[in-house]
Amino acid sequence: MNASAADIRSALSIEPSISAGPSQPKRTGSSVTKKPDGISRELFSLIGPSTPTLAPPLTKPRLKQKPNLGVDARAKWVLRPFNNNARTDGLELHHWVKANSDPNTEYPFAKYHIQTTNYTFSQDEYSRFLEDKEWTKDETDYLFNVVRDFDARWYVIHDRYEYHDGPPRSLDDLKDRYYSVCRKLVRNRPWAGDEASKAALLSSLQFDKERELTRKKYITSLENRTQEQVAEEEALYIEIKKLEQTERRFKKEREDLLRLLAGVDSGLQDIVEDDISSLGQLATDPKRKKRGALEAESPATPSVPSINTPLLKRPQPTKNAAFDTQNCITRTELPNTTSATKAAHQPAFLRSFKLPVPKAAIAPKVTQALAELGVSHTRLVMPTRDTVAQLDSLLEATMALIEMKRVVDKVDYDIQVLKSQLGMKEEQEGDDAQGDTMDVDGGMVEGEAGEDGRSQSVVSARSGRGSRRQSRRSLSVSSVDTPRPNTKRQKRS
Amino acid sequence: MVNYGGDEVSALVVDIGTSSVRAGYAGDDTPRAIIPTHYGYMSTNPDADVLMGDTGENNAESSKSKFAKLYIGQSGPSIWREGMEVANPIVDGLINDFSPIKPLVDHAISDVMRCNPAEHPILVTEPTWNTPANRERMAEIMFEEFQVPAFYIANTGVLNAFAAGKGTAFVVDVGQAMASVTPVVDGFVLRKGLVYSSLPKLVRAHARHILVTPTPSRSGIALLPQQMIESKNAVEPNMPVQFTARQDRIPKTTETWQSWAEEREIDEWIQHCAAVLDQGWNDAAAQSRPPKLYEFPTGFNTYFGMERYQVGEQFFWHSPALVASNPNLPKNIPALITESLRACDAELRQVLMGNVVLTGGGSQFAGFADRLSNELTRTFPHAKIHAPGNPIERRYGGWLGGSILASLGTFHQLWISKEEWQEHGKSIVGQRCK
Repeated sequence: MNASAADIRSALSIEPSISAGPSQPKRTGSSVTKKPDGISRELFSLIGPSTPTLAPPLTKPRLKQKPNLGVDARAKWVLRPFNNNARTDGLELHHWVKANSDPNTEYPFAKYHIQTTNYTFSQDEYSRFLEDKEWTKDETDYLFNVVRDFDARWYVIHDRYEYHDGPPRSLDDLKDRYYSVCRKLVRNRPWAGDEASKAALLSSLQFDKERELTRKKYITSLENRTQEQVAEEEALYIEIKKLEQTERRFKKEREDLLRLLAGVDSGLQDIVEDDISSLGQLATDPKRKKRGALEAESPATPSVPSINTPLLKRPQPTKNAAFDTQNCITRTELPNTTSATKAAHQPAFLRSFKLPVPKAAIAPKVTQALAELGVSHTRLVMPTRDTVAQLDSLLEATMALIEMKRVVDKVDYDIQVLKSQLGMKEEQEGDDAQGDTMDVDGGMVEGEAGEDGRSQSVVSARSGRGSRRQSRRSLSVSSVDTPRPNTKRQKRS
Repeated sequence: MVNYGGDEVSALVVDIGTSSVRAGYAGDDTPRAIIPTHYGYMSTNPDADVLMGDTGENNAESSKSKFAKLYIGQSGPSIWREGMEVANPIVDGLINDFSPIKPLVDHAISDVMRCNPAEHPILVTEPTWNTPANRERMAEIMFEEFQVPAFYIANTGVLNAFAAGKGTAFVVDVGQAMASVTPVVDGFVLRKGLVYSSLPKLVRAHARHILVTPTPSRSGIALLPQQMIESKNAVEPNMPVQFTARQDRIPKTTETWQSWAEEREIDEWIQHCAAVLDQGWNDAAAQSRPPKLYEFPTGFNTYFGMERYQVGEQFFWHSPALVASNPNLPKNIPALITESLRACDAELRQVLMGNVVLTGGGSQFAGFADRLSNELTRTFPHAKIHAPGNPIERRYGGWLGGSILASLGTFHQLWISKEEWQEHGKSIVGQRCK
């Protein structure tokens, strides 16, 4: 707020002092009449010549310079007649255009008037190559005229095709005749361009009637499925999904078991994996078929399926083991049970983002245990597939170790309790002879606990407490190197 | 401008339907002039003191010798005049009588829109089943009588598809007189797949039957129009009416005007009350819907419950008894759709079913779109219906498509110019407008 001192003074009706400082704006007569920048005229006339206290913040913010739209920014429009070059006559229509546009330019929409290439043939050509016992020359001529009229929109051509006293023609008959004639013409005429373009043109004129008919037969059969058939198909699909799920669960359980007992590289994994993929393929098959059918029919505008569409097939991923090893490609099998929905889709990710983490419940213990070993598991310098697998197994081993430890301690404690109960019973029996041994025992407990928490034989509440403390300490994995089956595995892996 | 593909040449679009004639500028989203297609006329020479409305009056020189006087527009047939006949040039969607077409179009363009047709190219619509002779006659009227610089005639099926933004569509058009199903592919109608019937007429006849037939709870309803009633008293629902008819007018009323007025009463009742159940006919469901109160011009008012659903049901289902008794019964909507699809290529069916366009004023029947979508999804699970919620788009879909088409820059090469007309004659219409 740059309210000047003079303003405050005037507001508080204090006489202006000479010490007003150089920052105070000079208020001369001329500045009173002049409208400062950043205040609209109306506002200025309201507040009058007593210049605003808030003048500085109201100054115009520095904005990007306005584009210079010429001297006169208003565009002048004129109603101007124009000729459309796509027309053969001189029809003159009027439209509004900017006055500064060139009146002699070509009509901008004329360029969209594209003529398709039309094939024509002479009587000589017809009699030499195009004879067909099914078709007369007249009818072929008629066909070519209709094709030209409707720009090869085959559905429309078929709809409008009405050749008097000709046999009824199916859409595929018409297409077959047209394309075969075109192919013959291209093949037999001198070709100006190179061979490749000729071959390309020929392949674009390819039409396989048999294939088209088969395809249409499939479509009809797909459409003609009864309600029961559709329901059955769906039921089967669900069934196979269920089977697949069970299989997968079973496989996972078995794998876990194998891992626990025999280690990761049991070798059995691959067999199971293979099994699953084949099953998965089987399961996704009907779906793929469905999707394929939809794809073929889904385009909003069925631009007549270009003649070689049925030939197109999506390239299958080459599953070549030799090729993979050569190029260091590792294929991860997608879980087959997850449906191909958006939610289930797993995008590509950096492996370092998906590092294995221990279960939250025992995470601190694992961290502690690994820290004691001097291993930092939170960061991998280079999370390759192998190292991640290693880390995973390390974490698993640690978790197993901790679990084992817990169980061992529990059992120890149970033993201890039972022993103490036994001791109490003995105590009761030989009560009189026990006066000072108890103290001795207590001392012994204290002494022994340091080296072995488990070797406690005696009874007193104190010793029990002591041993519990011990067990707690033993939980901290100071004894990680004690030979245990799981640590063995860790070493091996 | 070029970016949107539009280039306006101030073309006019004229869409002549059974219920109304729509006219407006291409590029607008609503027709400027909407006038009823029905017109009133005096067949004999009227007396000099005939009362005429401002807009209803027609210039003496434009009227044909057949009519001594024409009454066109909003105050045309709807005003009672002594001895005035009412007629409609459209029969089954086609122009049957061309003599009033010129006055109708002239009224819409010159009197309502106040513009000169000789200055604008005109696009006219036609139903898909229009005859070549009819379209040539229309071209002739436009070129010879209106002196238009350019003309084009386009198909309402295609235009409805364009209005929905589709080049390929399965257009289900339910109008005032006709219901039609038109497969459109790449902007062309598949003529073999076109089917139509005068189903809306049957629905109206059924509604009339329901209204005039006495039921145990009420007597038959007199469909007396407003113009025939001098005074009336409000009565409780289902009570006998108390009104005085204009006895002076009754003997001077023509039969055609009478039937026109009755049709209008029925239409209004249909528009207010009639509906269709969305899940097929079910007595319990029809009973459970709330009844609607409707008051007729005579003052008679009552609640309509199940009856109003019976009307709509005629669109989708005909009782076997009705079918047996009437061999020429117009086909209902599901039958039309099935027949149309059967004529289409198997490959096209899925595409068409994914682009169903529901249009026409008759499709605004309450619950119609829901019912149709239910009927379709039963057989085509992937069916998708485009039914604009905006009533203007639904009622004037054909006009709207014409408005879009005639404002496109790439369309202007298709106009039949006056020059071409003079050079080639009538045959150019069939060649250009495929």
